[in-house]
Amino acid sequence: MSTDPAVLDRPEAVEDQSTDRPWTTVVWNDPINLMSYVAYVFQSYFGYSKEKAQKLMLDVHQAGRATVASGTREEMERDASAMHSYGLWATVQH
Amino acid sequence: MNPVFKPGPRGTLTVRFPAIYAQLIAGLFGELISLLDDGEEPKAAAASTDPLAIELGLADLGLAELDPARPAPAAPEDPALARLLPDGYREDPAAAAEFRRYTEPELRAEKRRKAETVLDSLSRIPHGGKLTLTIEEAASWLTGLNDLRLVLGTRLGIVEDDQELEQSSDPDDPRNYLISVYYYLSYLQESLIGGLIKVEPPKE
Repeated sequence: MSTDPAVLDRPEAVEDQSTDRPWTTVVWNDPINLMSYVAYVFQSYFGYSKEKAQKLMLDVHQAGRATVASGTREEMERDASAMHSYGLWATVQH
Repeated sequence: MNPVFKPGPRGTLTVRFPAIYAQLIAGLFGELISLLDDGEEPKAAAASTDPLAIELGLADLGLAELDPARPAPAAPEDPALARLLPDGYREDPAAAAEFRRYTEPELRAEKRRKAETVLDSLSRIPHGGKLTLTIEEAASWLTGLNDLRLVLGTRLGIVEDDQELEQSSDPDDPRNYLISVYYYLSYLQESLIGGLIKVEPPKE
């Protein structure tokens, strides 16, 4: 018995790129928050290491922004909201 | 007397405030609570007119804020309040409005609760002195002090990193007082972060 060659040759459905692109949470620089505070929030809320938290904080400070998380839209809204409760300005991006 | 947050017994943090500083901080947090209440719809006005909500007895729960038929909430007009309650989306006003609709009430309530926690703790030293804080209270102090700095900094027009805040030679200039208070709060917050790291280092 042989397999129907048409089955093997059927092309895969083209993946919808937009649903695969992750949502992210971006923290924006602001002139009031202390650098030590921003780094503390990244360690405390996200559980990042001191080194990673420092690096992200410096990205915010020097580049004006840093991507601090990625995931589903719902997760990113939750993280952005948490950042607001800490007084950081964060937005959900896609 | 420079207040410094130090580890206390059993995982607490202690700090000493002269009476006048304790009163200053309490006053600031009282103002913050007023600001957070500003522009918020009182529950009665937020009662739903949706017939189904009324029938189910849900009309007075303030859930009307979540009714999609209501106009989309806008960012607060007061820049200081807007800084406390920022947009969750850039360049997408519809998404930002929806995000605000669902998150702003709880965000206001949370900031208010934390300010009240600070006020409750300060009421333990009505004449100043040594204040012992639990970690939970210290966490409220941390975000609370940050909220105060955001409000003051916005009012002072701080728009650049490390912006110089010059005090004018006019002794009656109220701005001079705000600048002093802003620097004092910054010092307090730095000290508190240092204390928190000692007492409960963030997990790595």
